[in-house]
Amino acid sequence: MGSAPSPLPSAHETPTDLAPAVRPPLPVKMVVAGGFGVGKTTAVAAVSEIEPLTTEASITEVAAGIDDVSLTPNKTTTTVAMDFGCLTLDPTLKLYLFGTPGQDRFGFMWDDVTEGALGALVVVDSRRLDDCFPAVDYFERKGMPFAVAVNTFDGDLTHPLDAVREALDVADEVPVLCFDARDQGSVRDSLVIVLEHALARAVAAA
Amino acid sequence: MTRQGGRPDPARRQEADPVGTTHGAERASAVRPFMVTEGRVAAEAGLPVETQVVATVEGLGQLGALAFERRAIVEVCGTPLSLAEVAVKLRLHLNVVRVLAGDLRASRLLAVHVPRSGTSSDIDVLRRVIDGLRAIPTSVGSRDAD
Repeated sequence: MGSAPSPLPSAHETPTDLAPAVRPPLPVKMVVAGGFGVGKTTAVAAVSEIEPLTTEASITEVAAGIDDVSLTPNKTTTTVAMDFGCLTLDPTLKLYLFGTPGQDRFGFMWDDVTEGALGALVVVDSRRLDDCFPAVDYFERKGMPFAVAVNTFDGDLTHPLDAVREALDVADEVPVLCFDARDQGSVRDSLVIVLEHALARAVAAA
Repeated sequence: MTRQGGRPDPARRQEADPVGTTHGAERASAVRPFMVTEGRVAAEAGLPVETQVVATVEGLGQLGALAFERRAIVEVCGTPLSLAEVAVKLRLHLNVVRVLAGDLRASRLLAVHVPRSGTSSDIDVLRRVIDGLRAIPTSVGSRDAD
């Protein structure tokens, strides 16, 4: 199909022989995880170029769903809200940030969102440390690079980072840091730390 | 307190993050999506949420021949969007968008760009994203030292 040659190496697995009106950027994504109310959406909002959007997705299949879950105790579909934002890093590269729903019982949903992600930032409230256990367990099992980011609400760090690391029992190479989920620069720096960790692993594996 | 010793009580976890409290997305009916997709589900499609979709020249030319959700998808994809963004803009279930995007691709009205697998551990991609993030101008008051 003599379509015009791309000035860029193909960023996609399925270069189509159709003629798209506009060539899309390479989409990459990162996950922002953690318990309820720890600041996931705040963190996404701090760096996203759009207001974080909320979409709905089912954790099983659309066809199986019935709208009123209260009438169906054996429901096979649950609709969850998923927040996301994005950052156009350059015209050929767009970073999506997805916040996972808070509960670990949404295992299916997490897989749906996390598959192919560059890495994850696990947001922690040090007063409710155990809320992040499912997320830490999940990314360890998945083998996905992640960093633990303690959200310093009002500059208040309840436990020193060493204590947090000890309680979470994460591997030595997993970064544990504190950040302010409201601060663009702070969230940006935290994402960079996740990516540097991911890069170190990728280089070591190469 | 350690992670192994302190696993959360499942009953308590269920209370967390009730659907719809974060932002005002209205609940979509599950019956309507079923009809839109003619009963098909997206399990086989497996398109990642960040998959980029963009209308083809052909698709934009045939807008008049399309109706309802299919037309809306082609219309909104005049510029590239992720499946997640399409779902938000059109207030559709993500899985409905997956199914319909597959249909539209088959009829050559939509180009569907699935991210290459292995991108997540691609050293060049990681470096580009790191550089891109570092280049973001941050607002006044945030630390921007390097």
